[in-house]
Amino acid sequence: MIEMRDITKVYPNGVRANREVSFEIKAGEIHALVGENGAGKSTLMKILYGVERPSAGQIYLKGKPVRINTEHEAIALGIGMVFQSFMLVPSFTIAQNVVLGNEPVHGALLDNRAAINATSELAKQYGLVVDPSAIVDSVPVGMRQRVEILKALYRGADVLILDEPTAVLTPQETRELFAAIRQLVKTGKTVIFISHKLREVMEISNRVSVMRDGQMVGTVDTKDATETSLARMMVGREVFQQYDKPPVNRGAAVLQARDLEYVNEAGRQVLRGVSFNAYAGEILGIAGVEGNGQTELVEVLTGLRVAVGGTIKLGDSDITSRSAREVRQAGVAHIPEDRLNNGVALTASIEENLIVDRYSKPPFSRAGFTSLAAMVKNGETMIEQYAIRAPDGALPVGSLSGGNMQKVVVARELSANPQLLIAAQPTRGVDIGATEFMHQQLIQQRTNGVAVLLISADLAEVMALSDRLAVMHNGQIVAIFPDARGLSEEEVGLYMLGVQLQTQAEIEKNW
Amino acid sequence: MVDTSAITLSENRAVERARIRKERVRSSLIDLIVTLGTIMIALLIGFIVTLAVGKEPIKAYTALLTGPLSQVNRLGNWIQDATTLILIGLSVSIAFQARQFNLGAEGSLLVGALTAAVVALYVPLPPVLGIVVPLLAAMTAGFLVALIPGWMKAYLNANEVVSTLMINAIIANLYQYLLINFLTPEGDNVRRSALLPATSAFPLLADIFNANLGRANLAIVLVLIAVIAVWVLMRRTSFGYEVRMIGANEKFARYGGINTRRVIMLSFAIGGAVAAIGGVHLALGVHNRLILGISAGLGFEGIVVAMLARNNPLLVPITGLFYSYLRIGGDIMERTASVGAEIVQVIQAVIILLITAQFVIEFVRARRNTSGTSSSRTAAVSDATAVPSEQSRRNI
Repeated sequence: MIEMRDITKVYPNGVRANREVSFEIKAGEIHALVGENGAGKSTLMKILYGVERPSAGQIYLKGKPVRINTEHEAIALGIGMVFQSFMLVPSFTIAQNVVLGNEPVHGALLDNRAAINATSELAKQYGLVVDPSAIVDSVPVGMRQRVEILKALYRGADVLILDEPTAVLTPQETRELFAAIRQLVKTGKTVIFISHKLREVMEISNRVSVMRDGQMVGTVDTKDATETSLARMMVGREVFQQYDKPPVNRGAAVLQARDLEYVNEAGRQVLRGVSFNAYAGEILGIAGVEGNGQTELVEVLTGLRVAVGGTIKLGDSDITSRSAREVRQAGVAHIPEDRLNNGVALTASIEENLIVDRYSKPPFSRAGFTSLAAMVKNGETMIEQYAIRAPDGALPVGSLSGGNMQKVVVARELSANPQLLIAAQPTRGVDIGATEFMHQQLIQQRTNGVAVLLISADLAEVMALSDRLAVMHNGQIVAIFPDARGLSEEEVGLYMLGVQLQTQAEIEKNW
Repeated sequence: MVDTSAITLSENRAVERARIRKERVRSSLIDLIVTLGTIMIALLIGFIVTLAVGKEPIKAYTALLTGPLSQVNRLGNWIQDATTLILIGLSVSIAFQARQFNLGAEGSLLVGALTAAVVALYVPLPPVLGIVVPLLAAMTAGFLVALIPGWMKAYLNANEVVSTLMINAIIANLYQYLLINFLTPEGDNVRRSALLPATSAFPLLADIFNANLGRANLAIVLVLIAVIAVWVLMRRTSFGYEVRMIGANEKFARYGGINTRRVIMLSFAIGGAVAAIGGVHLALGVHNRLILGISAGLGFEGIVVAMLARNNPLLVPITGLFYSYLRIGGDIMERTASVGAEIVQVIQAVIILLITAQFVIEFVRARRNTSGTSSSRTAAVSDATAVPSEQSRRNI
C-alpha cells in the first residue's frame, strides 16, 4: 500500500537521521516500527507525514509515486499521525476538537450537534469510547489519545501512524488501546505502531521493521520473531569496527565507589547500592538500557549531585559529596551525555568554552584577573591539536557542527590530564568520523594510564571498547565481566533487561 | 581522517579568518544600523503621536529633540540625570549578564542615599573624607541589601523579580519612615533632612566652570571610574567570566565547576553597591540632603539603559546619555509646548518596545538553538550564524 524507497534524510548540520531506508506497509496490517532512541524511526514517519522532507528517496502510494510536502497533503492522501504529545485544544469539547479544521457549520456558526453526532458515530464505529461533549482538559490521558485517533479518522485517514502511543498510558489504558487498534484494522484501516517496547510489539503487530542508526535492519513477521531476536536486531549484530588495543596494563584502583545510593527530586531511588572500582590503564564499560541510573551515577561521581549514601574515593582521597570543582581538581574529567545542555555554552566562544575548568588558575588568571592572551593561545592550541573544524576560536560554539562541539568538550576534558575520565554516551548524535576520533582518544587515554569509565547505551560501542564490562539495571550493578572480549551481545542483553543477575559474590570478585 | 582535516584546516585557516573578520565588521555595522533605524522609527512614531495631539507639533518636537542643548542649565540637567542613570544601568547590567532579572536597583539606590546622608550628617569628617566615607558606607549598605535577594535566589530559588520588588517596597517605606520621624529637623514643615555639611557635598560643575550648569557635579568622575571598573570586572576577571558563563548556560557553568550559587548571589550584591553610588550622587551631589521620593523611579529607568546597552558596560554611558536626553527633552517639551508628559512617555515607551522586540528575536533564535526535539535541535544548530554572538565578541 505504502512504500518508502531509499529514503535518506540529512539535516543541515550533517547529521544523517535516515540512510537509504526502505519501508513497506501492506493494507490492513499492524506494522510495528522499532528501534532505540535516535535510530531514525520518528524521522522516517515525519517524512511520511509530510513534517520533514527527505533529502533523497521516493514514496509510493498504491504503486504511484507521491510527494508529501505538508501534513495537509498527507491527510489528503489518507495518512494520519498521532504524536506523543497531543495536539488538542484543552478548553474545547472532544467533539469540537475532533472536527476542528473541518467543522460542520450552521450558517456562520459551528454546528455543535452535528459535531457531536459525527464524533459519536465515529467513536461507535471504531470502538473508541469517548464522551463527545466533555471538555478535553477534564478527561484522562487515554481518552485524549482516542480523541487524537478520532481526529485523524474524521479527516479520512486510512493509515494511522501512532508514535509511541503507550508511553503515556497505564497498563489498563494500553489494553483498551490495543483493542481499539484491532477494531480499526478489522474495519480496513492500516496502523503503523512506533515503539521500543518489545513485549507490546510482540502482542499487537503483524509485522515488525527494525531500525538502527538511521538504517533499516530488516522486516520480519511477528510470528517468526522473539523478543530476543528483535532486541538483537535493535542493538545490532553488525560488528563495530575492531580496534587494535594494546594489551591492558592495569594499574592501581583510581576510583572506588561503594554502596552509592541516590534518591531523585521526585523521591524515587535511582541508585541502589552501586559499588565498583575503576583502574588505571583500563576502560571499564557500563552497559545498560537508558534510564537505569547511569545518568545519576555519573552526576554523583562528578559532584553534580550529592549521593544520599555510600562513599567515593579517588586514589586515597575521599571525594564523596565534594563540589564539582573539587572533584575536577582531584583529577576527574567528564564528557557529559547531554553536550548541548551541559558540555558547552553555545553562545560563548570556543576559547571561553575551553577554559571553564581552569579559568581561575594560571596562566588564565592571575590574582583574579584573566589573561586574554592565554585564553586565545589555549584555544588555538586545542583547535590545532584536536582538529576542531573552526577557523577562529572567538566564534561561538553554537556555530560548530555536532561533532566539532563534541571535540571542544573532548579537547577540554582530555587536556586537563585527568586520572579518571568519565565519558557518558560520548558518541551519541555524532557522525562516524567523530565517533572514530572519540574512540581512538578513549583508547589512547587508557593506554596512557588513565582510568576510563565509559557509560554507553550503545552496546556495540561499550563491547568494542571496554576491557572490563559492568551492566546496570534498575539502579544496580547486576554483573561485572572481567574480560569484555569473550562476551556475546545476547548474553549482556539478558543482564541489561534484568533477566539474569550475577550473585553478589560474583560481582564483588570483579570489583 | 583526522590528519587530512587538520591539513585542510591549516590551509583554509587564513582565508576563513579573513572572511570571519569581514563578517564581524559587517555584523556590528548591521547592529548599529538596526539600532539607529529603531530609534528613527520610534522618533517618527513619536512625531505622528505629537502631530495628533499637539497644537504646535513642530515646535514641540523641536523642543524634544534639541531642548537639552538649547540652554546651559538644561545641559546641566542632562548631565546630572545621566549620571544617575548610567550608574543604575551599570548596576543592572551585572546581574542581567548572569540572566538574573534583578529589579533591586531602586532599593539599593535608596539605601545608598540614606546611608551616605546619615553618615555625612552624624559623623564629623574633614574634606575629601567627607565624601569618601559616606560613599564607602553607602556602597557597603547597597551591597548588603542586594545580597538578600541574591541569597534568596541562589540558595532558596526564590523568584528574583518578586523578591527584589518586595525588598524595594520595604526599603522605600523604611526610607520614608526614617526621613519623616528622625531626619526631618524640628520646625521644618517640609519633610526633608537638614542640609548636609559642606565637606560632604560634591563640588558643582557650575562652580568649576563658572556656568549655570544646574546641580551637575563631580560625581561624573565616579561614573567614569565605575564604567571602567565594571567593564574590567565583567571582561577581565575570573568573576566576570563566571557571571558570563552562567548567563550563557548555567548548567554548563555548574558542570565546569563554577560555584554558580555564590556567583549569582554576588552578582546581585555587586550591582547593589554600584546602584548605591547613584544614591550617593543624589544625596550628596544633587540635593545635598534627603528628600521624599529622592529616587523618582530612576532605579527602574536604569533597566532600560542596561537593556539598550545589551548589558555591555562600555555602551551603558552612551545609552544612559541617550535615554537621559530623551527624558530631559521630554520635560522641556512638556514645559514649552504644552504637550503632556504622557506623550513623552509614549514616545519613550515606543522606543523601548521596538528595542525589546529586537531582543525577543534574538532570544527566540537562541532558544531554537538550545531546546526542542532532537530533530529540530540538530536542524537548528546549523542555523546559528557563523557570526559571533554578543557574548563572544570580546574586547568590546
